[in-house]
Amino acid sequence: MVKQVQEIDDNSLKQWLLAVANQRDKQAFRALFDYFGPKIRAFGLSRLSQQGLAMDLVQETLTTVWTKAHLFDSDKGNVATWVYTIMRNQCFDMLRRVQHNREDTFGDDIWPLFDSDPASDEFADHKLDNLLAAYLGKLPKLQREVVQGIYLQELSQQELAEKLGVPLGTIKSRLRLGLEKLKSLLEKHHD
Amino acid sequence: MINHHPSDEMLLAHAAGETSFAMALALSAHCELCHQCAERVSLLQQKLARHHLSAPSGVNALDDATRVETRTEAQQSDWLNMDSLFDAITATEAEEPVLTKGDLGPAVTAVKGEQFILPRTFRQLIHSDLASSWKGLGNVSRLRFDTQDGKARASLLHIAAGGEIPEHTHKGVEITLLLDGHFSDEFGSYGPGDFMLMDGSKQHTPITQDGCLCFTVVDAPLHFTRGLSKLLNPIGELIY
Ligand SMILES: [Zn+2]
Repeated sequence: MVKQVQEIDDNSLKQWLLAVANQRDKQAFRALFDYFGPKIRAFGLSRLSQQGLAMDLVQETLTTVWTKAHLFDSDKGNVATWVYTIMRNQCFDMLRRVQHNREDTFGDDIWPLFDSDPASDEFADHKLDNLLAAYLGKLPKLQREVVQGIYLQELSQQELAEKLGVPLGTIKSRLRLGLEKLKSLLEKHHD
Repeated sequence: MINHHPSDEMLLAHAAGETSFAMALALSAHCELCHQCAERVSLLQQKLARHHLSAPSGVNALDDATRVETRTEAQQSDWLNMDSLFDAITATEAEEPVLTKGDLGPAVTAVKGEQFILPRTFRQLIHSDLASSWKGLGNVSRLRFDTQDGKARASLLHIAAGGEIPEHTHKGVEITLLLDGHFSDEFGSYGPGDFMLMDGSKQHTPITQDGCLCFTVVDAPLHFTRGLSKLLNPIGELIY
């Protein structure tokens, strides 16, 4: 078992995460789950001092890995570092919840999950609508027409499905992907 | 040009998520303005990630092999029967993100008829129930954040052009992050992004020609919430 773990390198982690991002590959996720799970639990135990809270940290962190795998930037990032930031942010919020009974989440505001260029002068730029227009152009066409239809032409998802002749579920998933992409582009911009 | 930065020890505590909330805000906002410290934190994060989450062989040069192996065995041996957790996680659908302007826009605040764009760290906080409203006396206005960090008091402080804060000392430590404008005191002059730490032994009288906006934390605990010394032990070489 230990021997097996030792052979895992950064590249395998990256391949697994990409398989989760692109194919929702459960086997690949299982490998990430078995690799990171015990380590996150050990970190959680040292910070939160309770088995139950440590397992909450495992669940919260790995759920984010599962649902946001497609936001990982494989060109810039290292998988372990990405998982670490998710875990650290989550743990920060959990400690506030335990110590101060606060349900708010500031971890991701304090340590943005996406790579940023903090020296950027665009810090002061807040012409949001222009930005949105510029970034819309960066979305793949299928996602762009759904985001535009819903937010600019104010069509309902059902109307848009009929107009484009695709199932409602397809509209929903294109919208989700498009908005997440847009959000990450804008967050990068504001960093 | 930013001339005053947090210490390496503070940046490490920040990367580890071990500071108080108020301190994390100050450090995060500084890193947003200071490329150099942001790079440093990102490097420390990589090292911390390797320390906590990496494969035990070779990769982790900071631990000696035997200790790591024991730890790994202990970690792995009871990582069994986790199928229900696995099923619960993989049953989660990605949430549909809601795109709102509040979500994406910068944090803006207005005081004395002037509008300021704050670092994104404050986006949620400035609109939350933890933020009070601006209150002022003469040239000095303050917006307090109830960060619930014990004695520490965090606020945005605005001093109008030509204003001065009467000479004062601090019982504890005072952290000042200058966000906009300039000020000077007996020890030097400061510009946007500068991060200053004053301890109780010094007296100072800040004055500002052009007006300024700062984020300040008074009575900040300089001991970090937990385990920093323990943390420093295995990875002390990161900073010394
Ligand atoms: Zn700096």
